[in-house]
Amino acid sequence: MSFSDWISQPVNWVFLGLALAVLAAGFRVVTSQNVVHAALFLVATLAGVAGLFVLLSAEFVAWVLVLVYIGAVVVLFLFGIMITRAPTGQDVGLDNRRARPVAAVVSLGLFGVLSWTSVRAFQDTAVAGVGERTPTDILGEALLGRFVFPFEVVGFVLLAALIGGITLARRDLTPKEEEERGAV
Amino acid sequence: MQIDWLAIAPEIVVAVTILGVLAADLVLPRPLKYWTATLAVVGLTLAVVPLILMAASSVETRSLFEGSYVVDDFALVLKGLFLIAGYLVVLMSVSYIESDRYYQGEYYLLLLSSVLGSLVIASARDLIVLFIGVELTTGPLFMLAGWRKGDIRSNEASLKFFILGVLSTAILLWGMAMLYGVSGEVRFDQIRSALADPSPAAQPLVGLAILFVLVGFAFKVSAVPFHFWAPDTYEGAPTPVTAYLSVSSKAAGFVALFVTVYVALRDRVDIWGPGLWALAALSMTIGNLAALRQSNIVRLLAYSSIAQAGFMLVPFAAASVAGEQLAEGLAATVVYLVIYALMNLGAFAVVIQGARRTGTGDIDGWAGLGRIDPRLGVLAAVFFFSLAGIPPLAGWFAKFVMFRAAIAAGSAAATSLAVIAAINAVIALYYYARVAKVVWFDEAPAGAEPATEPPAASLALTLGIAAVATVVVGVFPAVFAVFGEATRVLLASG
Repeated sequence: MSFSDWISQPVNWVFLGLALAVLAAGFRVVTSQNVVHAALFLVATLAGVAGLFVLLSAEFVAWVLVLVYIGAVVVLFLFGIMITRAPTGQDVGLDNRRARPVAAVVSLGLFGVLSWTSVRAFQDTAVAGVGERTPTDILGEALLGRFVFPFEVVGFVLLAALIGGITLARRDLTPKEEEERGAV
Repeated sequence: MQIDWLAIAPEIVVAVTILGVLAADLVLPRPLKYWTATLAVVGLTLAVVPLILMAASSVETRSLFEGSYVVDDFALVLKGLFLIAGYLVVLMSVSYIESDRYYQGEYYLLLLSSVLGSLVIASARDLIVLFIGVELTTGPLFMLAGWRKGDIRSNEASLKFFILGVLSTAILLWGMAMLYGVSGEVRFDQIRSALADPSPAAQPLVGLAILFVLVGFAFKVSAVPFHFWAPDTYEGAPTPVTAYLSVSSKAAGFVALFVTVYVALRDRVDIWGPGLWALAALSMTIGNLAALRQSNIVRLLAYSSIAQAGFMLVPFAAASVAGEQLAEGLAATVVYLVIYALMNLGAFAVVIQGARRTGTGDIDGWAGLGRIDPRLGVLAAVFFFSLAGIPPLAGWFAKFVMFRAAIAAGSAAATSLAVIAAINAVIALYYYARVAKVVWFDEAPAGAEPATEPPAASLALTLGIAAVATVVVGVFPAVFAVFGEATRVLLASG
């Protein structure tokens, strides 16, 4: 397919716009010198990726991305930054300026290799199921049928992360404080 | 949907134990917190019962969830290993964790979660199940490595392990995503048939996917050149956690790697075979050379475990570069893995007790330990000589199986790997024997009294079990070869 054919389809304009937005926002995430700005650019990146999923007719994944990643994970980042005594202002060391040449070489190299192999492997193959709706009941049945075992195991991953995280993050009482509160 | 409950009974027992530990930790007063360890031990023991029932039953292979979870003899042997290793680590943790103001209930909860993850890995025949299993195995360990919150080295251990662990997980997941993309399947047998005859255009992507998966797992098993997190993490983490890291989590990483490459990617052995060869040769050589220069006993064991990982890979890597007798190579590797687990756990139990006796982790500080505490000195000699592969201790049988398989593979590349392994076995003897020499032949510092107080009962039990296993397997290896046979029969059909 030639580029003029490709660009003549309106859906590809949407794709191009989203992809460039994701790229620009992603670039700012790693170059921003303010950690709050970086987190906000991450929101833009994730929202753009959610848009790409909508283009692929994967609305469920798109909304999971919006609800879980933008709605919960990034908000937790921001809470974490604000509640702890981490610096919120400009931090010149944050973008690791000295490592930029190495980072550029590694990421451009990786991009070249990955895009070359992927384009070569898939070429013009259409993604199956684009344009169809994904009924959520099928997803639900798969999660609680064939995939019920990993689904339950994920519960234990989260439990372990929760308990371990709390244990490591909480401030230990000094022996004196402990005595005052009574041994528990 | 029919579920074979017996097949997932070990996982269910461990899961219920985890919840039991959590509940017990809430209600127990501090002086009785050690009951959580008792609960963990009981749970791990009960989980072995369904394994024995399955091993005795006539059903060869139990396949669940449309073939994504398979319990066969291979899985049974490894689940047994993971449960026993978890059991020994809990035992050696009791006095260590109790002696300081650690969070005991949470500690055992995280340890059991990691054991549960490794049980899942042993049966996973599906990318999704395997990945979740790997996550559950390593996730709790990031936190356990930093369990000594007040110690800066423990914080460093945890942080290094976490950052590199997450990076390796990302690479692994990327590789898995590419495998899924190119084959359109997540189940290993379906991936295998989908990749049997890929279009030439897809070849580079398949190669890249296999490379990413290999690198991801190489981080998990700390194979050279992806090992640099291991020594610092091992040194900073609480010693029982280090023992667990160097045995169970390493074994789980190996099992995940073997299952993936053997079941899903067996036809592409031309791509991953040389990769395994390089990992094995580099791990043995660099691990051993670095171990020679260590003065701290835990760092010595860290590098020794990197080198042992190389030895472990030798039979399977030799078979894969030769392109034949893969099942035999894998069986030999599993035998090595199981023996290594037992003797290395014993060595770490010695380190815990030795550090308590001498108050130092420096090897030179252990001078004359054999006279201060003769029983501990004997055990130190047993485990370290076994790691070196001296008959009649279990380690010699592991090395014997390894060389036999590598030479049987036959090709020039396989034989050269066996030669590299032989040179390294000699180098390794030097630093293992040095520990025994310091313990027995160096003069004890002036004023050292013969030890009178016995070690904690739980630690003594760990030492006893590991020592008996090391000696019995060394003297009657036939007992043990049965397990290797089980692995071979099963995987040959798979």
